[in-house]
Amino acid sequence: MSVYLVHNAETTQDQAIAWALRLQGETMSIEDGLEFDAWLEASPANPEALAQILSVLETYKAAGLDVLEGLKQSEQVAARRLAKGRWSFGAGLGVLAAATALAFVVISQGSLIAQTSNFATKNGEHRSVKLADGSTIDMNSETGMAVRLAPHERHVTMGQGEAIFDVAHDQARPFEIEAGGHIVHVLGTQFDVRNRPDGFSVIVSRGVVQVRGNGPTVILRKGERLDFAPGEASKVSTTNPADALGWRTGHLIFRDQPLSRVVADLNRQFPEQIRIDDERLAQEKISGVLVLDNQNLVLERLALMLPLKTVRSDQGVVLQSKSSPF
Amino acid sequence: MTDAASQHPGKTNALVEAYFAKRGNLVLFLSARTGSHATAEDLVQELYLKVAGLDPAIETSSPNALLYRMAINLAHDSARSQRRSEVRDTAWRNDVRVELAGEDIADEPSAERVVISRERLAQLIAAIAALPPQRQKAFKLYKLQGMTQAEAARVMGISVKAIEGHISAALKVLVTKVDP
Repeated sequence: MSVYLVHNAETTQDQAIAWALRLQGETMSIEDGLEFDAWLEASPANPEALAQILSVLETYKAAGLDVLEGLKQSEQVAARRLAKGRWSFGAGLGVLAAATALAFVVISQGSLIAQTSNFATKNGEHRSVKLADGSTIDMNSETGMAVRLAPHERHVTMGQGEAIFDVAHDQARPFEIEAGGHIVHVLGTQFDVRNRPDGFSVIVSRGVVQVRGNGPTVILRKGERLDFAPGEASKVSTTNPADALGWRTGHLIFRDQPLSRVVADLNRQFPEQIRIDDERLAQEKISGVLVLDNQNLVLERLALMLPLKTVRSDQGVVLQSKSSPF
Repeated sequence: MTDAASQHPGKTNALVEAYFAKRGNLVLFLSARTGSHATAEDLVQELYLKVAGLDPAIETSSPNALLYRMAINLAHDSARSQRRSEVRDTAWRNDVRVELAGEDIADEPSAERVVISRERLAQLIAAIAALPPQRQKAFKLYKLQGMTQAEAARVMGISVKAIEGHISAALKVLVTKVDP
């Protein structure tokens, strides 16, 4: 049946909906997978349309209980109004009333007094901070910041570090992050800010972000990244935001990165420091995914990607080229 | 690690190359299959580890077919993988409670129940409430109560094809009313 739908769907959106439902069906063959792959690649509009449909489906799945509860309340409100013969109030108003009442239960009201709180993570530590406005900050290792929630603004001052900000939408209270001489200005979105010795970067995975600094103001949209390396001009490029956000779930995803950068990131995750003993090896570019569960396992996986060997010494772990005579 | 693997670093492996070419497609495939983008990302990482661990000497005429077969198998076990990843995430995050503006703001209490903003919830509810009754019911049973299409069809006393029609029509409207 779904096959029928896919073949007869007219618009890109119809096709995306048909595929979303077909892929959630009970059985799935390799042929289905390959046919799906061919459809995705037929037009860049196809993956985009599908991602949009999947996002709506997932939103409703995640909020399922709250939405059901809200619908029930709004139906009761509407029924009561009908019983009283007050036809002029439509179901729409009832829905809003119910949703507002419910939301007060879900989200407690924030205090109106501004207060600053400091957060810091150590080597290897990850921390998720839920703010009173509903925003979430996922902090990577060795990151420090001060958060101030005021009635008319939300402000974060970030030192060295990296964090993913998932900002609750609030038109009246802009959210600003100050880091490394840059100001990142947002209304409601998700993005990663990285301020490390090798440079400053912002990667947007949802919504729109404005970055101000010494140079011109830059507007970044979903899937775009801004990079400032010390002594170089700023650069905007497109990226897969999921890669940059991987550290939150304990993954390090990198494409064409020099080993030195990968090792610098690893050294923030594990206490035992890794050193590269060979400049050529340090510049070697690699692509891959590392699950950050255990340093020994991470090093083993790294050895699958590059011809290197690990040597343990008093000063920590040393990476050597496999052809090294030592 | 096998000798074969260490002699053939990932860069030269055709299957690994195919993986990187298809990674985005596989995420979409698994997102649709599991209903969760985060789970899909997790599974695609697992897939990478499997791919990187395969002996590169094994010839495969169609790397893409192999990738999709592995993805389908991973999705099949996804309930189990999801439980595992939750355990890992919990272990990964430190269990800290902090206070801000006089309020207790704990680390996310559970990944299951996501707190969403008032405006967002109102938007979601209003979009569903505005649907015609049959479409609303079909979408509620399928997506909010987690029934399969066949179960929803049985409850509503209509065919699976009709259910699919209702859900498609509902989605077409919802996607215009719900912000991504």
